[in-house]
Amino acid sequence: MRWTVGKKIGSGFALGVAILILVGAVSYISTLKFIGSAHWVTHSYQVLETSQALLSNLENAETGQRGYLITGEGRYLGPYNGAATAVSSDIAALRRLAADDPVQRQRLEALQPLIAAKFAELRETIELRRKKGLPAALPIVLSNQGKENMDAIRKIVGSMEGRERSLLNQRDTEEKARARRTELVIAYGMPLGLILLALVGFMTSRNITRPLRFLSLAAERISQGDLKMDLPSDRRSDEVGVLARAFSVMARSLESLARAAERIAAGDMSVELMPRSAQDVLGNAFVLMRDRLRQTAAEIQESVNVLGSSASQILASTTQVASGAAETATAVAQTTTTVEEVKQTAQLSTQKAQYVSETAQRSAQVAQTGKLSVAEAIERMNRIREQMEAIAESTVRLSEQSQAIGEIIATVSDLADQSNLLAVNAAIEAAKAGEQGKGFAVVAQEVRTLAEQSKQATARVRSILGDIQKATTAAVMATEQGSKAVEAGVKQSAQAGESVQKLAESIAEASQAATQILASARQQLVGMDQVALAMENIKQASSQNVASTSQAETAAQNLHALGQKLRELVAQYRV
Amino acid sequence: MEKREIQDKAKPSRSFDWGAIRRRRESIERAAEQGWAPSAEAATKVFRERARALAQEPARAEALEETLKAVAFLLAQETYAVESRYVREVYPLKELTPLPGAPPFLLGIASVHGQILPVVDLKRLFELPEKGLADLNKLVILREGSAELGILADQMLGMRAIPVREIEPSLPTLVGIRAEFLRGVTQGPIVVLDARKILERILTFQGPNKDT
Repeated sequence: MRWTVGKKIGSGFALGVAILILVGAVSYISTLKFIGSAHWVTHSYQVLETSQALLSNLENAETGQRGYLITGEGRYLGPYNGAATAVSSDIAALRRLAADDPVQRQRLEALQPLIAAKFAELRETIELRRKKGLPAALPIVLSNQGKENMDAIRKIVGSMEGRERSLLNQRDTEEKARARRTELVIAYGMPLGLILLALVGFMTSRNITRPLRFLSLAAERISQGDLKMDLPSDRRSDEVGVLARAFSVMARSLESLARAAERIAAGDMSVELMPRSAQDVLGNAFVLMRDRLRQTAAEIQESVNVLGSSASQILASTTQVASGAAETATAVAQTTTTVEEVKQTAQLSTQKAQYVSETAQRSAQVAQTGKLSVAEAIERMNRIREQMEAIAESTVRLSEQSQAIGEIIATVSDLADQSNLLAVNAAIEAAKAGEQGKGFAVVAQEVRTLAEQSKQATARVRSILGDIQKATTAAVMATEQGSKAVEAGVKQSAQAGESVQKLAESIAEASQAATQILASARQQLVGMDQVALAMENIKQASSQNVASTSQAETAAQNLHALGQKLRELVAQYRV
Repeated sequence: MEKREIQDKAKPSRSFDWGAIRRRRESIERAAEQGWAPSAEAATKVFRERARALAQEPARAEALEETLKAVAFLLAQETYAVESRYVREVYPLKELTPLPGAPPFLLGIASVHGQILPVVDLKRLFELPEKGLADLNKLVILREGSAELGILADQMLGMRAIPVREIEPSLPTLVGIRAEFLRGVTQGPIVVLDARKILERILTFQGPNKDT
């Protein structure tokens, strides 16, 4: 067999197609003829139908005429009027249909005058009936001319129908014979063609399908990864042989690639690979894969080193974090205790603030009282000053009076002096008088003694007056000082009043501040409660944190171990 | 503590006895009502002392002795005496007119009963030291015949009867002008002046240059 598979399949198909064309041609021709005869059958039926309609319309016209003749009423002329136009259109249709048939055309020509005559007779009778009445029209009807025309028309129409019917029969016979022939062609042609095609298909499959099935099985095994196979090494020169050889080459190539992959899998990246051509996708991909793997392995080695050291650092950090978390937990526990203490302190502060606030309010009242007291004190002081001024006035008056006394006393003293001198002079005179003057001398002596005593009395009065003067001066000065002291006292009291006022203001501010402090302290207390609660939560979180960090520490140890293992694994790769 | 201080200050620093003041004032008022008359006790005491003084017997012995009647006065805390027959009168010195160009002891001139008299300061005459304050407002007018002058005195002490035998001659230590004007000194001590000599010397005073 020197034929290629294409030629084999092509020749088989050509034989089948020839048989199909033969059967199809026969069927087509008979169908065309059948369609033509069907047209003519239709044509004949149309002629028959139209001629029947013509007759019917004529009869309608006659019926209308007769109704009118009998009744004389216009409404009976309806069928007649419709029939006139229908008849003319029927004749036109028959003329169209009979265009290809000379015999029929001849008969139609003969029919036309008869129809015209019939209509003329009808029209005449109707006119007469209308104009002259029934008796005038009746003789025309009774003349029987209309009936004769009608019979002639019926006869011609009957002959036309007879011709069409004979044509129909003839065509029916021809159709039956042709259908029989076509039937025979199809009945014998189709099985013959089928048998020939089956024969060709069997032969082709025998020649092509078996090797292909073998190859498809091999391909299936290759697709499942089985490269160990024995392919038939027959020297077929057609496509199947080529396919088999190509399969064998592909299998060997795949096998070599698989071996290379095995070596790569074993970690040997130094395997030599050559792509079989520029389009060797798999080979190129293998080379690329080897290069990439080599590069990746190098990078992985590097990364694993980094990973190992990072894991070590993470382990160290995690250990530190774990110990830090433990310390934090301890600190948090201490802080919680402290917060509790601070809370108690805040409670105490609140109580104190309340106490202070109440005290400040009481102080404000006391300050108000103090203010009033100071005002009263100032008033009293002023009264004292007035008294002092009155005292000073009285004392000065006293002093002035004592001055008057002094003047009087000076006069008295002078008088005493003069009395003394007079007494001395009297004594002198008495002495001069001698014995007669002795008594007078005694009197003079007595007078002198009295003058002396008066003098001494005035001296005493003067000294007392001096004392009084000193005393009054001292009193005036004392009252002046007292007045000044009172004034100072008033000023001092005013200052004290201002101080008390300021004190009252300060106390009011302090009271306000104390109230604010109280509010703040209460808020603080609430805040401390919240802080205590938050600290409790933090404490719990911290203990959870400790647990988590110990877990993290374990995980870091595992990670570290994993890093070590990875380092050992990566060391197996030869780059 | 401050409160206690304030209360302490509010109390009077020392208790003042207004009751005593009132009592004293009332007694003064009573005295004023009675016209400042001394109390009955005081009056009785004064009268009793006077009676006792008057009841004493005057010393009779003195009368038998020869006495010198003299006017005694005080000058610069010393007692001087002038024989009364040379004393015209004693007189208060009202005003003194200084004389320009006069010797220092001659203080000036004064008018007594319309009569112009020279006024002598014995302290300057006797060249005594000027010590202490002196009244010098009394004038003892001396007279011998028509010669008259006034000597200044602090205070008049009145008449004295000085026993002559008690007058001792002036001290030998006294020389010069003092010895010249003194008659003697008693036990008092009273310096007895020689009025006649004073009048002579002063009224015949020619000035210091002619005197020596």
